Amino acid sequence: MALNSKRHAVDDLAAAQEFCHSRGWTDGLPIVPPTAEAVAACLDWALLPPDHLVGVEPVRERAITAEKLAVNAVMAGCLPMHFPVAVAAFTAMLAEPFLLHGPTASTGGAAILIVVNGPVRQELAMNAGFNALAASDRASTAIGRAIRLMLCNLLDARPGEVDRSTLGHPGKFSYCLAEDEENSPWLSLAEEHGVPAEISAVTVMAAGAPRQIMNEWTSDPAEILDTFAAEIRANMRHYSIWPGNYAIVVPPQLRAHFHAAGWSKADLRNCLFEKARVRRSDWAECGKGAVVGKEGDREYAALPDPDHLLVIAAGGPAGGFGAVIPPWYGNKSAAVTVAIGACLDCGP
Amino acid sequence: MEILDPTHEGGAPAFVPAQRLATLEGTTVAILSNGKKGTKAFFDAFASELVEHHGVAEVVRLTKANYSAPAEPGLLGRAERWQALVAGVGD
Repeated sequence: MALNSKRHAVDDLAAAQEFCHSRGWTDGLPIVPPTAEAVAACLDWALLPPDHLVGVEPVRERAITAEKLAVNAVMAGCLPMHFPVAVAAFTAMLAEPFLLHGPTASTGGAAILIVVNGPVRQELAMNAGFNALAASDRASTAIGRAIRLMLCNLLDARPGEVDRSTLGHPGKFSYCLAEDEENSPWLSLAEEHGVPAEISAVTVMAAGAPRQIMNEWTSDPAEILDTFAAEIRANMRHYSIWPGNYAIVVPPQLRAHFHAAGWSKADLRNCLFEKARVRRSDWAECGKGAVVGKEGDREYAALPDPDHLLVIAAGGPAGGFGAVIPPWYGNKSAAVTVAIGACLDCGP
Repeated sequence: MEILDPTHEGGAPAFVPAQRLATLEGTTVAILSNGKKGTKAFFDAFASELVEHHGVAEVVRLTKANYSAPAEPGLLGRAERWQALVAGVGD
């Protein structure tokens, strides 16, 4: 396989680390040296030629090729079998509604949340249970990290360069999880977005850090969602009032209450659409009285419509916990779902 | 050991830089703001500076609808009437 990337000679593994760190090519953690053999193995597994055009980032007009994605995937620790998931995630990120430049450059400090659905989760031994949101398994960690290195090295989204985040959050290291489809009667996130259950897919969302909630003192679905709604309202009051995609992660203990009551994901969405609202005057209670103005009674919904809520079944078996994952900044970036192996711009 | 370069190697999109203006005297200069609210005072002051101290005849103020996206195609439609355009990015 003829690879086109510039080649650099290094003495050994340790030298490769220092060579990459010193050039700003890493996230500070050790990398796997991207040898031609390792990169070719990723491309072979995905059945992609090196010069395959995955997409073009429109603001900087950067063409993104499969070879460059593979180099970064190897560095992040991806096995060849992980690579198609990373390609699908980057394909989704290059879709116009995602507006990739925004969340990668913004002072708001978003990371790219990646949700994996379908048979590939089991093929890659992804763990949607314990510790689902952080270092739950090899594939999730490596795929999420690969996305970050791709952004740094292909779009210069390094801190202080294109990435102008004031704070960022730990999800920038890796922010990938699988949905727990086996232990949920709900439609998967990808199925809700039109992808058949037998097809693997990824959904990407420009996301803030997860905000954990806990309610172990009720089995009433509406009361449980009161807790989620309160956390969403807190985000609207303390961070950004603008509506957009929110995601909630619902672990098994809370899911059991929804399942017992016969609530579907659509029921959760409709309920939270109504509950997750604030008034502009609420800002006066949290130090933002200066921007309330004359529209204090104006109501703001967290979701433009119920479909903007992503409901994800994941998490360990015990504990009445859940998580709210807020959007980067309102609806400027829309969550995108892409089937793995799909080409968005290919002709029939 | 040989490793592959992970960075973008495609180069910048092809374009030809415009000729530098010899003077701003009597020119029309456009300022394309990215649209962040906090930039208004800065670009106001910049526009005044151009007129009062550099003899610019007219400053055209433009604002992108979305500060994270490229300028809308129609926004630069009158560009041939301007002698300079400043891409104003601020926060």
